[in-house]
Amino acid sequence: MSESKEQKIEDLYDVVVIGAGNGGLIAAAELARRSTKILLLEQHNLPGGFASSFVRGRFEFETSLHELYDWGASSNKGGTRRLLERYELDSEFVAVPEAYRLILTDPDECMDVVMPFGIDAYLDTIEKEAPGSRESVRKFFDLAEDINRATNYIGQTKGHPDQNVLLKEHSNFLKTTAYSVEDVQNALNIPEKARSILNAYWVYLLVPMSRVNFTIFVSMVHGYILKGAYIPKFRSHDYTTALDTRIRELGGKIEYNTTVEKILVENGKVVGVETSKGDKIKTNHVVCNASPTLTYNKLIHPKSEVPEIAYKEINARRHGVSTFVVYLGLDATADELGLTDYSYFINNNMNTDELYESLNNLETPKVQATICLNRAIPDCSPPGTCIVSITSAFLPGVWDAVKPEDYFTLKNKIAEDLINTLETATGAPIKEHIEEIEVATPQTISRFTRAYNGVVYGYEPESWDSFVPRLMTMNDEKHIEGLEFCGGYGKRCHGYSSALKDGETAALLTLQDLIQKGELK
Amino acid sequence: MSEEEKKFDIIVKSNTRDLFAFTKLVPSRKKRFEKASSEPITTDPMNELAIRLHPLRQYLVISEIINETKSTKTYKLTPDPNSNTNQLAYFRAGQYLSLKVEVNGVTITRPYSIASSPSDALKGFYEITIRKEEPGFLTQFIWNKWKVGTKIESSGPEGFFFYEPLRDLKQIVGLAGGSGITPFRSIAKEIAEDKLDAKLTILYGSSEEDDIIYHNEFKVLEKKYPDKIKVVHVLSCEKVTLEGCELGFLTSDIIEKYCDVNNSSFFICGPQIMYNFVEKELEKFNLLHKRIRREAFGEIKEILSDPEFPQEVAEKIFKIKAQIGNLTKEIPAKATESVLVALERANLNPPSKCRSGECGFCRSLLISGDVYISPVSDWRKAGDKKFNYFHPCASYPITDLEIKVPRHL
Repeated sequence: MSESKEQKIEDLYDVVVIGAGNGGLIAAAELARRSTKILLLEQHNLPGGFASSFVRGRFEFETSLHELYDWGASSNKGGTRRLLERYELDSEFVAVPEAYRLILTDPDECMDVVMPFGIDAYLDTIEKEAPGSRESVRKFFDLAEDINRATNYIGQTKGHPDQNVLLKEHSNFLKTTAYSVEDVQNALNIPEKARSILNAYWVYLLVPMSRVNFTIFVSMVHGYILKGAYIPKFRSHDYTTALDTRIRELGGKIEYNTTVEKILVENGKVVGVETSKGDKIKTNHVVCNASPTLTYNKLIHPKSEVPEIAYKEINARRHGVSTFVVYLGLDATADELGLTDYSYFINNNMNTDELYESLNNLETPKVQATICLNRAIPDCSPPGTCIVSITSAFLPGVWDAVKPEDYFTLKNKIAEDLINTLETATGAPIKEHIEEIEVATPQTISRFTRAYNGVVYGYEPESWDSFVPRLMTMNDEKHIEGLEFCGGYGKRCHGYSSALKDGETAALLTLQDLIQKGELK
Repeated sequence: MSEEEKKFDIIVKSNTRDLFAFTKLVPSRKKRFEKASSEPITTDPMNELAIRLHPLRQYLVISEIINETKSTKTYKLTPDPNSNTNQLAYFRAGQYLSLKVEVNGVTITRPYSIASSPSDALKGFYEITIRKEEPGFLTQFIWNKWKVGTKIESSGPEGFFFYEPLRDLKQIVGLAGGSGITPFRSIAKEIAEDKLDAKLTILYGSSEEDDIIYHNEFKVLEKKYPDKIKVVHVLSCEKVTLEGCELGFLTSDIIEKYCDVNNSSFFICGPQIMYNFVEKELEKFNLLHKRIRREAFGEIKEILSDPEFPQEVAEKIFKIKAQIGNLTKEIPAKATESVLVALERANLNPPSKCRSGECGFCRSLLISGDVYISPVSDWRKAGDKKFNYFHPCASYPITDLEIKVPRHL
């Protein structure tokens, strides 16, 4: 038949990177930049994982990104920007105009507010909406600065901080990092209405304020408000393809349509990988962009090489949400529709326990984060049109029993409900202008990324499993020599910038190991 | 970052408790791990649903062949349990299957619309109807070789040519030409089964009376569901005996005669020349983009008739240096055949599905050289254009090329 045997890859590599998502791409680029012989294997035929795009009719849709965190203006570059700029990508990013518009739809809520970027402007607006809240919210941001200083210090000490320095200079970080957002906001006496506004970004974590870790949340809110938010001008597929190009220019090899089926382990050490194409590749180092859940339960071979503690670590954690997205190509402009803003957070209320619970059944969730892409990139679609995407979420397990024959009806029903909510909240006549519509469900996520059970948000960042304890324990929670993880399940929790930075860390740890073992030529 | 000192001291519960909580962070994490179950996770329900809805491949077997017309046959395809396909993927009426056909040792793919209804898939079969083309070595081959019992490898259901209730109007007008009628049979059946709340009027162009596919079947449906399903035959031949049909082509006059133009969603499926004709006719109505849906028509048949194609290379045969997996091979490629066809002829088994430039499944990297891509089949993403990724099924070599092609899934 065909020459598939001759197409098999059987070389030896310093490092095999599994998965070309945000984490895998950076890991591969960083390793290739440092003259390591790498092979990047991706099961899909595109790079990016969640960071992608797709075309329907006259529109190219952004698949998942709402706003990139920690990018910053050229005068005030954030870590994500500095990291990506290292690879000199031919890819443009543009600023998002305002922080967000929060609309609460319950009749007794009366909330419709546009929040600006910039700490002072933000404080002014929140004071106007919730008089008397300025000082307590300022303290919230002051704490964020303290935490920033602390994490910078810990970074400078390469994860080995002087306990005395921590106690003396970074006590505000120490004293809050074991608590939930609710605990700390109670201590700060932030009035309820101000909390509603301040906590709108919770959708990017989707864990209730009573459980989500304070440190990660305050860092996120502060980062967005201080540095603004950015998005790729030509969708995420542009920068991920730019990374693909750079990796190959640096001598890295990339194979798409190639699923890793086994990570071969002998005596606790990585010795190679096997793929769906029958490739048998020798390597002592794997950087894995797949989750620990998938890796330990499915990829490590033989199973006897998986230590019991690896299963326990997975089972002790809670998998985060999967997403549900309605992508709309509309044949009217944002002006014509009256969509004045880029980012809309539309919820019934801001009781995050109640909102979280609404993600736990097949009814339409009470949460949506909606983007009008043209408000950041006016010409992202043809003249006379605009792109709107509505994102909601479901907890893992909710879609488990859905039958194929009911699937299309179900997803259309939920999509319609979400569109109706958007119409009511904004007054925009969406339905009569739909030219293209696509709906992605947890099944779609699984189909294209093979993420375990369609999970997008990694493990839930409660305080005991937020980025601080993850970073503190990263050396003793390694169970297989030569295996590093990167991506949204990684040491910095989920999100684009976390995954990108985690890719860099995984690359550096792998490099260190290669050097220590004298394996690098 | 600012070098300022902290501005105040936080107390969450009490000074001691707060610091104690920090020191307990890692130990309590360890304790949670120790207490947790060590059972492996063995199921992934979303992955199972994804595989049922979008299987990478389905192994089918021909269970029945029905002669429709002198040049068309309907093949009934059922799962081949010997190859581990036990059920068929459900789909949306209008979607297609990409079938793999091995002709003289060379594997190629062809997209065929599913002509049976989605509920038939649950009952265990798909139907596809294939017209024998002249010339057309593949359909000739299928005609001669496919028998009851022949095994066929298929993709999952693909494509975006389906009724979308959140976008389309309840009145569907199908503009069908030749074997382009097949997806409308699926849609009509779904309407008849009351699974799709819409009305369907089909204007069906055929060249001869005896070329009309599903003639009697549609008659029965029309009679049974007079308010929902209507078929108007438009015949381009000179002599016609059929009652109630139109002569000529699918002109704006005929469309206007049978349809409420401004309150309908138009769906077009047929050969490429029919699109060129029908689109011009529809232009007269000045319809919104969203009111016209087009099925991808497969590979461009006559790339030379494309006015923008560089005619000076028409006779040329170029060299393509193709990397696929670990293999690098130099292969010949005619300027007038797509890069995909050249790869298939060389037996490299490249990935492909829609063969229309739309699905992106064959996406490959153009390392050097140049290709011609017709604007009508250029569905590449902005990033792909910028970084030289292209769709071989819709690209024609106009110089020697060096390319990297992903292996088939």
